[in-house]
Amino acid sequence: MSEIAAPAPFVFPSALIGRADLARLLRELENLDNDLESQRARNHGNTEGYHMPNMSRALSDFLETNKIDTANDHARMELTKQLRKLKDHAPVIHMTFASEADPESLQELVTWIRSELHPQALLSVGLQPSLIGGVYVRTPNHVHDFSVRAHMKDSRKLIVEALDAVSRSPQ
Amino acid sequence: MTIWWLTFILASLAAVFIGFIWIIVALNRLQAGGGSKKKSVSDLDKTYADMAEEEADHLFNKEFREELRNRGRLRFEKIIDENAMFLKQDMDLTISQLNDYMKQQIGAKLEGEFAIYSKGMKDAQELTLGTLQKTAEELEQQRQELSEAMKKSVTAREAGILNAFETNMAEIVEHYVLQSLGEQFDMKSQMPYIMKQMEEHKKEMTEDMLL
Repeated sequence: MSEIAAPAPFVFPSALIGRADLARLLRELENLDNDLESQRARNHGNTEGYHMPNMSRALSDFLETNKIDTANDHARMELTKQLRKLKDHAPVIHMTFASEADPESLQELVTWIRSELHPQALLSVGLQPSLIGGVYVRTPNHVHDFSVRAHMKDSRKLIVEALDAVSRSPQ
Repeated sequence: MTIWWLTFILASLAAVFIGFIWIIVALNRLQAGGGSKKKSVSDLDKTYADMAEEEADHLFNKEFREELRNRGRLRFEKIIDENAMFLKQDMDLTISQLNDYMKQQIGAKLEGEFAIYSKGMKDAQELTLGTLQKTAEELEQQRQELSEAMKKSVTAREAGILNAFETNMAEIVEHYVLQSLGEQFDMKSQMPYIMKQMEEHKKEMTEDMLL
């Protein structure tokens, strides 16, 4: 497909969350490319009648979402090239949670991020129970603490005021 | 006085007078016969001189000289002993006087030194007492200053502890909440809160992503 010759505004599927997923996708795409190249060599350059190997759901979703024809050698080559670039340069948002993040929640988050912040953003997930709740977000240049711990820390003066009120109240 | 006594006195006087007359006559006779005997007297003298020399040799013989030497030695030893005794007495007396003098001088000197030493000791004692008194006053002053500083420090410390208590109390409450609720929140229940926070800061995050 000729659309991917320009800087590819790929739409990542929600199942593709982090850089590891992208690397896995890229590796699978390279294997696919090798497999198809082998088939073409066996068929003496005839690209007709490629036997498509089995693909993972992530890759098939990605190809379907972006409408990429894998039988097109040039398209595969460009896709591989762009994905390599993205793997190294796609913006990554680190999100640290207080508890284990389930895949559905992560997909919801990454969907929102890609629709509202950056279409090719990747997510890096961490776990920090001391956050109590909420999330600790680290974008490439800033840190946003949306955790319950930070919220309580900001509200610490309320506790002090309460203590003062208790200490000043008559016995 | 009787006549007999007078007769006896007169007879005695007459006898003395007669004896006196006889002596005078005898002397005159002796002077009358002397011219013939002068030569014999000189001879006699000469003879006596020779005899004396001869007898001198007999008289001052070796034994006699030895006897004289012994006597002289004894005499000399006696004199020496006497002088030694006198010298010893003088020396004893001098030594005794010298001892007395030395005692007096040393006593006077020691008394003087003791007086100086006593004065020095007294001065040192007074100085020490003064120093001790001054030190005690300084210590008392320092104690008062330290006491005041301690009071101030304790007051400040109390205020600091109270302040720290108020601050730490909030942390304690946070810790309590963390320990109590840290495992209770699941991800799905937090999602609305997270999405709300993300929505509120969407603009900042977008700008950061585009940098």
